[in-house]
Amino acid sequence: MLGETYALVVRDLRRWYRTPGQIILVFTTPLMWLLLFGQAFNIGKLAQGAPGIDIREVFGGATDYFSFMAVGQTTFIILFGSLFSGVSLIWDRKTGFLAKLQVAPISRASIPVSRMLSTVVKALLQAVVVLVLAAAFVFIPGLSGLRFSPDFGILEALGIALFLMLLGLSLAALFVALGLIVRNEETLFGMINLLNFPLMFTSSALIPIALMPEWLKTVAGYNPITFVVDGMRQLVFHTSIGAQYSVGVDFLGIAVFAALMISLGAVLSRKALLRS
Amino acid sequence: MPSDNSVIRVQALQKIFPGDVRAVDSVSFEVREGEVFGFLGPNGAGKTTTISILNTLMLPTGGRAEVLGFDVVTQASQVRKGIGLVPQDLTSDEELTGRENIELQSSLYHIPYSEANKRADELLALVGLTDSQHRVVKTYSGGMKKRLEFATGLVHNPKILFLDEPTLGLDIQTRTSIWEHIRKLRSESNMTIFVTTHYLEEADGLCDRIAIIDHGKIIALDTPDGLKKAVGGDVIEVEIAECNENVLEMIRSIKGVTLLEGKCSGNRARIKVPESNAALPLILEGFWSKKVAVLNVAVKKPSLDQAFLEYTGRELRDEDKGEGRKAGVAAAKKGRLFGRRR
Repeated sequence: MLGETYALVVRDLRRWYRTPGQIILVFTTPLMWLLLFGQAFNIGKLAQGAPGIDIREVFGGATDYFSFMAVGQTTFIILFGSLFSGVSLIWDRKTGFLAKLQVAPISRASIPVSRMLSTVVKALLQAVVVLVLAAAFVFIPGLSGLRFSPDFGILEALGIALFLMLLGLSLAALFVALGLIVRNEETLFGMINLLNFPLMFTSSALIPIALMPEWLKTVAGYNPITFVVDGMRQLVFHTSIGAQYSVGVDFLGIAVFAALMISLGAVLSRKALLRS
Repeated sequence: MPSDNSVIRVQALQKIFPGDVRAVDSVSFEVREGEVFGFLGPNGAGKTTTISILNTLMLPTGGRAEVLGFDVVTQASQVRKGIGLVPQDLTSDEELTGRENIELQSSLYHIPYSEANKRADELLALVGLTDSQHRVVKTYSGGMKKRLEFATGLVHNPKILFLDEPTLGLDIQTRTSIWEHIRKLRSESNMTIFVTTHYLEEADGLCDRIAIIDHGKIIALDTPDGLKKAVGGDVIEVEIAECNENVLEMIRSIKGVTLLEGKCSGNRARIKVPESNAALPLILEGFWSKKVAVLNVAVKKPSLDQAFLEYTGRELRDEDKGEGRKAGVAAAKKGRLFGRRR
């Protein structure tokens, strides 16, 4: 199980970094978002100087919108990566590569598990790029940058990685399974689009919950992305000001979500890989 | 006739796709250890479906099949360990190098790294890809890709190698080199080779025994020579100025020639005899002695082509007939097999 899973993860990663322009895309896409979205929507300015408002209450502990959204941006990367994780399986079925795996004496589970792991590895690397780029903006005159708390250390970094990993694994579990079930890309793309924006914009990744209408606040409170960004912001800014839940509750929330999704993904993948 | 050295035993195997499409219809046969066994039939005859069942990719809807003594339905993982498959399509990862593809396959068969390394060297040399082993596969030519596919299927030294249409769509040169590899493999190891094809010359030149399959049923199973013999004799065609009943009468009167059939076809006399080598001089002598000028002589030895015609009532390349049924099979199999046909 381990040997073949490792080999298949390596295969996925090789395919990824050998794609022409991949490295450039890894940097430019988050850069665009951080520059255009993060800098343009500096909504913190509106509230600046207003008496009796602690801006950190709105921005989940951050002192400016950019720092707020830069943390949220990492979940965006994970979301996109994992929603698209199943697409390559459709190609593997079309080229016959999947049949080759099914003929081999390997654990059936290694097929979806390897795809989930490679997805998470790719997405985590990109998330690190986002955080490093966002932090580097501090040094560019005229731009706001992501300001980590001085207390930010290795434990906090590991905590962030854990949050993002759980989010990535849960969505990848479902979408890898869908990639095994669905036979054409169009159907899968439809499903991805169906979930993509609602998941993103009913969470506190890019928009502060405090600014949402009541009904949306309720939805956002249960969105798994909210658990992840809420927990991560507390780790990055080292404060519980403006937090929805405690870090422990955030972790529990995403862990339960991951357990549910991975179980669902396992059942669906197993069914899809059964012979007929 | 069950024998002890059978490595594949198939009994009344059946695969019916939804819509009562009978892709494999009660097929029984055995493959002996070390032989090259050919599965010959037109497109849509049920070859790939049979191979998919034997390779544990598909479940039969009836009957049973044993590979290396293991049931393909209930003991799939044991079957998988002992078999290798070279599918019809090119399934190597185009973004990886040739060597990386072979190494990936080694991992899938749990071959330790040091051994896998040595094996990769050997196989790359065998298929002549040593020089291009570090190039990504998408830069390979069609023939190189096919050779890589062949090497990949051999990584774990399988006891049985399944080749599904190994030369389909390849140029003559590559086809010949693939045949060479199969023959070499055959002579250097005791590997059993199960090959499906719809090329008659391929089946004839390579196989120890051939099963002719059509419409999901096996209609003949014998050695290539046995199949040809069943066609019944050689045909001698003698072109003359005018063929008529008198000429045929003259032929019938030639001593020492057993005539199976004699008829006129235009200005040619078609004479079917059990064996042409001894009969030909006698027949020509007959013509000369009656002062009938012979313009041309052609001898047609029985071919698998004729055998196929004899058994199925149609020519192998005659793929128009049964098109509707084939479309049904294709639709039922869509997306289930080796995917896109290239």
